[in-house]
Amino acid sequence: MNDILARIALCVESGKTDKASPYPPGMKGQDGADEITKLAIEEGLGPARILDEALIPAMAAVGERFSRKEIYVPQMLMAAKAMNSSMKHLKPFFQSGETKRKGKFIIGTVSGDLHDIGKNLVAMMIEGGGWEIIDLGVDVSADKFLRAIEGNPGAFVGLSALLTTTMENMKKTVAVLKEKHPGIRILVGGAPVTREYCDKIGADFYSPDPQGAVNYLKQFAV
Amino acid sequence: MMNTFQYDFSELDVDGERIGRLLGYGEGYQADDFSGLIRELVGNVAPVCSAKAEYRIYPVEEWKNAGKSVTIHGIDFSLKNVVFAQVRKAESFALFICTAGPEPEKLCRKAMEDGDPLASYIYDMIGSEIAERASRLVLLEVRKAAEISGLRVTNRYSPGYCGWDVSEQHKLFELMPGNSCGVSLNASALMNPEKSVSGLIGIGADVNFDPYPCSSCRRTDCLYRMTQERNNVT
Repeated sequence: MNDILARIALCVESGKTDKASPYPPGMKGQDGADEITKLAIEEGLGPARILDEALIPAMAAVGERFSRKEIYVPQMLMAAKAMNSSMKHLKPFFQSGETKRKGKFIIGTVSGDLHDIGKNLVAMMIEGGGWEIIDLGVDVSADKFLRAIEGNPGAFVGLSALLTTTMENMKKTVAVLKEKHPGIRILVGGAPVTREYCDKIGADFYSPDPQGAVNYLKQFAV
Repeated sequence: MMNTFQYDFSELDVDGERIGRLLGYGEGYQADDFSGLIRELVGNVAPVCSAKAEYRIYPVEEWKNAGKSVTIHGIDFSLKNVVFAQVRKAESFALFICTAGPEPEKLCRKAMEDGDPLASYIYDMIGSEIAERASRLVLLEVRKAAEISGLRVTNRYSPGYCGWDVSEQHKLFELMPGNSCGVSLNASALMNPEKSVSGLIGIGADVNFDPYPCSSCRRTDCLYRMTQERNNVT
């Protein structure tokens, strides 16, 4: 791997955002993902290479370590923060169309549920997988999901629920979305959700951790 | 009768070590890179925290075994199996609301807007823990008052947990009009401020406090069970 790309990947994996960031202590005072990405672009490394060869593999490594319980949520969030500090340099290229995202992913916590940590983690990891995120927030009605789907044809949908009692709203939301858009692929997750429940309510995919969702989406990347 | 409480942050026993454990770090986590940040954020919440609680006592009017419900002040609460079994012998209930106040979620939102998801997450955890600790203090207050009359208390139960539908929170709030905590409910039964807890505690001569409430339930995927196991509190 190109040395600069390797350094960006290391910063993201380690959660090293920028030079001013004291985290991780072992990299204090060193350039972070922010400065090194800027340098990479100045040196002519294309945004697609930065995304495909540094950010995506680095976030995948973070996701795998989280799945294996080698790191906790704080480390994952620091990695996501470092990824965002790199991604801000790439966004102009996405907006101009020079660099393409892998696809669009609409995500939200279902109606009646205010919990957003898990939803945010999944959103960050999927964004790190190269996808554009449309985050609808928490307590999202089926109608709001429908409007987002209609505004973003071809998008995938992620539903989150943390309470056993709001899982029922997940079921209703899946039913409404599938009725209007039978071909849409819906991913579900959250502490009480299981693969069996996913199958029962007619959703397409369940993963107990964010990386599972990233891996599932890879087959559909454009 | 309305009983109101305002808690000083120091009474809540929320410190960096406790938040660290909730974040997943075990004993000795102080050596971890985040311990300083956690302490700093707890320190930011401490001076602005406005934790409050209130409980009101209502006698039981009628038990309905078939529907696993209880009537309090003319309102039927459909408690479902687990909660019904635990509180069935109560003679009265303490309905309670407690809140961490709006400050933790303001800090949480601000941190996210500032592009710091980790700080946002930790503030969220601190807010949840303040509300949880306040509800534990309410339980202790109710227990103290009950014991004066020679009565005992059950565990505290909240809509949304143990199979008790979260929409029942509307009924609970009907019996707490103008609550002094300033907590309101939206149509989806979500509380504002978010970091709030509402619920009931059974009171009676023949009720029991269950130190292992999850042992009577087979669900292993329940957030309440996970929190209890992680937090090791009752």
